[in-house]
Amino acid sequence: MADFWNFYAWPTIIIVLQIVAIVVPLLVAVAYLTLAERKVIGAIQLRKGPNVVGWFGLLQPFADGLKLFLKETVVPSGANRGVFIIAPMATFVLSLVGWAVIPFDAGMVLADINVGVLYLFAISSLGVYGIVMAGWASNSRYAFLGALRSAAQMVSYEVSIGFVIITVLLCVGSLNLSQIVLAQQGMWFFIPLLPMFVVFFISGLAETNRSPFDLPEGESEIVAGYMVEYSSMVFALFFLGEYANMILMSAMTCVLFLGGWLPPFDIAPFNWIPGPIWFALKIAAVLFLFLWVRATMPRYRYDQLMRLGWKVFLPLSLIWVVLTAGVLVATGWAPVTNR
Amino acid sequence: MPKLVIDGREIEVPAGVTVLQACEAAGVEVPRFCYHERLSIAGNCRMCLVEMEKSPKPIASCAMPAADGMVIRTDSPMAKKARKGVMEFLLINHPLDCPICDQGGECDLQDQAMAYGFDRSRYIENKRAVEDKEFGPLVKTSMTRCIHCTRCIRFATEVAGVEDLGATGRGEHMEVGTYVEKALASEMSGNIIDLCPVGALTSKPYAFTARPWELRKTESVDVMDAIGSNIRVDARGNEVMRVLPRLNEDINEEWISDKTRFACDGLKRQRLDRPYVRRRGKLVEATWPEAFGAIAEAVKDLSGEKIAAIVGDQCDAESMVVLKDLVAQLGSPNVDCRQDRAKLDASCRAGYLFNTTIAGIESADVALLIGTDPRREAAIVNTRLRKRHRMGGFAVGVIGPHNDLTYKYDYLGGGGQTLVELANGRHGFAEKLKAAKRPMLILGQGALARPDGAAVLGVARKLAESFGMVRGADHASGAWNGFNVLHTAAARVGGLDLGLVPGPKGRDVAGILDGAEAGDIKVVFLLAADEINTKRLGKAFVIYQGHHGDSGAQRADVILPGAAYTEKNGTYVNTEGRVQHGYAAISPPGDAREDWKILRALSERLGFKPAYDSLKQVRARLNEVSPTFGRPDAIVPSAWGQFGQAQSQVQPQPFLSTVVNFYMTDPIGRASVTMAKCTQAFVLKSAGKTGTDG
Amino acid sequence: MAFLDRGARTLFLWELLSGLALTFTYMFKPKVTLNYPYEKGPLSPRFRGEHVLRRYPSGEERCIACKLCEAVCPAQAITIEAEPRADGIRRTTRYDIDMTKCIYCGLCQEACPVDAIVEGPNFEFATETRAELIYTKEKLLANGDRWESEIARNLATDAPYR
Repeated sequence: MADFWNFYAWPTIIIVLQIVAIVVPLLVAVAYLTLAERKVIGAIQLRKGPNVVGWFGLLQPFADGLKLFLKETVVPSGANRGVFIIAPMATFVLSLVGWAVIPFDAGMVLADINVGVLYLFAISSLGVYGIVMAGWASNSRYAFLGALRSAAQMVSYEVSIGFVIITVLLCVGSLNLSQIVLAQQGMWFFIPLLPMFVVFFISGLAETNRSPFDLPEGESEIVAGYMVEYSSMVFALFFLGEYANMILMSAMTCVLFLGGWLPPFDIAPFNWIPGPIWFALKIAAVLFLFLWVRATMPRYRYDQLMRLGWKVFLPLSLIWVVLTAGVLVATGWAPVTNR
Repeated sequence: MPKLVIDGREIEVPAGVTVLQACEAAGVEVPRFCYHERLSIAGNCRMCLVEMEKSPKPIASCAMPAADGMVIRTDSPMAKKARKGVMEFLLINHPLDCPICDQGGECDLQDQAMAYGFDRSRYIENKRAVEDKEFGPLVKTSMTRCIHCTRCIRFATEVAGVEDLGATGRGEHMEVGTYVEKALASEMSGNIIDLCPVGALTSKPYAFTARPWELRKTESVDVMDAIGSNIRVDARGNEVMRVLPRLNEDINEEWISDKTRFACDGLKRQRLDRPYVRRRGKLVEATWPEAFGAIAEAVKDLSGEKIAAIVGDQCDAESMVVLKDLVAQLGSPNVDCRQDRAKLDASCRAGYLFNTTIAGIESADVALLIGTDPRREAAIVNTRLRKRHRMGGFAVGVIGPHNDLTYKYDYLGGGGQTLVELANGRHGFAEKLKAAKRPMLILGQGALARPDGAAVLGVARKLAESFGMVRGADHASGAWNGFNVLHTAAARVGGLDLGLVPGPKGRDVAGILDGAEAGDIKVVFLLAADEINTKRLGKAFVIYQGHHGDSGAQRADVILPGAAYTEKNGTYVNTEGRVQHGYAAISPPGDAREDWKILRALSERLGFKPAYDSLKQVRARLNEVSPTFGRPDAIVPSAWGQFGQAQSQVQPQPFLSTVVNFYMTDPIGRASVTMAKCTQAFVLKSAGKTGTDG
Repeated sequence: MAFLDRGARTLFLWELLSGLALTFTYMFKPKVTLNYPYEKGPLSPRFRGEHVLRRYPSGEERCIACKLCEAVCPAQAITIEAEPRADGIRRTTRYDIDMTKCIYCGLCQEACPVDAIVEGPNFEFATETRAELIYTKEKLLANGDRWESEIARNLATDAPYR
């Protein structure tokens, strides 16, 4: 019995508690990200944004959630019912599971696996499945077009993201995310790898279907793309998943380029502030960038999007992989692995 | 053949036409208010002014005969200015009523004011106001709007033949009216509404209810009498708002009778909109399967001779042929379409048609009316007879009802006696008939729907043959057939064409009623048959299929709701034998269905396999039964033959018209409020006064 | 040297960055939002809001059932049925506007020969059910009675420009 408690029950309970400790703040963050988005874009457009529900509109996300929760779930008669329901769940779940490997502080990580980057990369690639399923199952032209656009776009930009990650890995010599953060103690990678940081950020916008690469949704052309037939909670799952993906992408950016939980300077008073706070602040800063870009840039045309992905980012990142490797070998700065 | 130049184009026109007609022949439209091609020329509106070379003033083209060498300009500044001046004068006293005027949207004055009107008025004096006249329950007047074109006066005097309308006063004080306050007692009075170029005369029942642009127009055929007047049914939503005439020179020209025009409000009342089944003495609402089930129960194990069917007066040929097939499948010979018991012979087509044709009346020179009152039985035929009368050289003799027919006629006598005398050449009128080149006789249902009807028919045939009314084989080679039967029911000729008469050992209507009363007939199917004495149906199980809750439906044990003539695509054969297609303007109310579909479904329920599933197939079947159905809108010449019983005795009783009340001859008319008002105003009132009308 | 300049601008994403800078400065400009339920913008006398059916000062309804508004309505939102009233005058028995169809183009009031149907200054008539947005003649006449003074003032203000 003791074995059961020691080896199965307690670890399970601890893991569940850890998951809850990650997911709950994450969902609250998602909720307030939606509010922040409306506020930031409002401010840039000389508006006030939501300010009626709660102080400064602070309860607006919950009002929105309640509204969506109370609405009727409409499943189109021509839809493939099962797939139609599973699609938003897949999107939502995939946007959460990526957080398992994100280090919040030294040692503060749910699963400190040594292929963390690959895991993250795989999870973010899987995200396209939810969208393709939704687009196909809706049995609607707009939804299908949106899904096709999304799939092509995500596949295109994953290639350059992959090369950007390889550049970072070359500098670190490990696939473990904590190792990557710790490797930035001297200098955050966005300084030496600035072009790669820019490529990564822009590709991240495309990967999360954010403006100016929100062609899968493309309100003005295909209404709402793959989400056109969704309503109520199933729509809310897509919505939450999309914003959770944004946060995940921001977290990846921080881990890979902005030194994760590390303070900008390892001196007082910066190092008095705990790592998770720094991490959250950095994520918030990157998210602000997401919103800022959305408020500034108009939507790309589809051919421009593809041109950027394949003809600019892919060669650029390839050259940088070679260049970085060459510099590292030539200068002998290449990290030496123990094994 | 004068040759003249119109707007620079040379054109040759027949002698005797006016400049306006010449302009129309040249394809130039000339505005007009008073001119109408079917009325005499008044020349008083002055709207048709055109410029003529060598004339210092513009001329009224409607009143100017076209002459050789005329040079006419219709678009010159002078003509335009003249018309603008006329229009301004017309508008001086015409109120700005368009928003509340029923003519708005289809008003000649409105249309022409758009072309020739000035956008404001220079007239600052008081406008003229005229008291409205009471023209009876059909025509609403608003005499302030009148522009004194006198079309209505000319129509009443010339076409309708009632000299009730006229103008009093001169100049600005001229008023159109009935001299003394009285309703316009004509069965054609509704046509003055169409003739009026402004909104002075509008339809009273239709008043303020719809606008022309809201109406869905369906071209159809009338079933109120056997003429088959071409009509246009104007519907809004699923409601027939009004019925208007459609031009057909061969039948109704551009007139229709008041019954045709105004009875349409009866389509909204007393309708059967769901099946009913009689349970414990009471009719209760039922579903179609329940109603069919009750019928199947009633005819189960019943031999054919105990089943009978009577076909009504307004049925379409489609439903009649499906009924004919159903009755044949049930093995019954008892079927009859002659509700009025007219002794018509279905075997010879020429023996029950109006062979001369309605347009052919105009080439006849003597007419003999036998037992008919065409003014009430077929107002359009009467209008044609009057038109022929006005052409001159036309003698009319009447045997039968002695009523005002709007033209002069020789009253020969009341009954069979006179007919036999005439047939034997022992009557004074026989000389006229002998002298006539194209004599015709019109045999009414009043003469045929009597026990000796077959004998009357036989005498009439003999009369026709002996006075040379039937000559030649076909119309083309100068042939003439002056033998005419004037029907009163739209379905009659179709029914006879389809052979809906008793088969061998079958019973006719009288026999069916006798049999039902005696208990020999167990099941009677009434296809919209209301003109029978339903009390005599005894204990028979009565199935009524029709559209109105009239006498047939009241007696029925099962009611199958059918469609009225505006609600189905039907084929009708008029008294001339002309096959015409009517089209559905609206859909039947509630659960009601097109009649042939009901009968087809019923025959399927009774275990027979019908040979048709679509209207096209039913029409193919019609064509198979009688090939004339394959030639719509045409007169198919019918061979002369033997019909009637010449040997039996014609009784001396006077012939009476079958139409007592012109306004209520059918379920639709009886359900109509307007027709009830007309009955009150024209039939009951005048009957009370003189006792001769109706 | 132009190509160098252009190349440098492209390489350093100058246009993107200047765009971002511009929007960033806008974040701190004064906001123009009206606090709607508490603050309202000015309305033109020609504002086309909720429909009303007006009456004459005598209390007689203006509408004469000419159906021009029904005919002109591009959204076919107006349904009119008419018949002679007891005193023989042309009046509507039904005057319905489906406010869910209405596009507030104002053609009905342009078409009206007697200024009966007017789009008034009221725009706050949201309802909880669609059925409430099918306006009947009674509702429209009641609206007319309620907004008559404003509408009369608006019509008078606009009259010189017609």
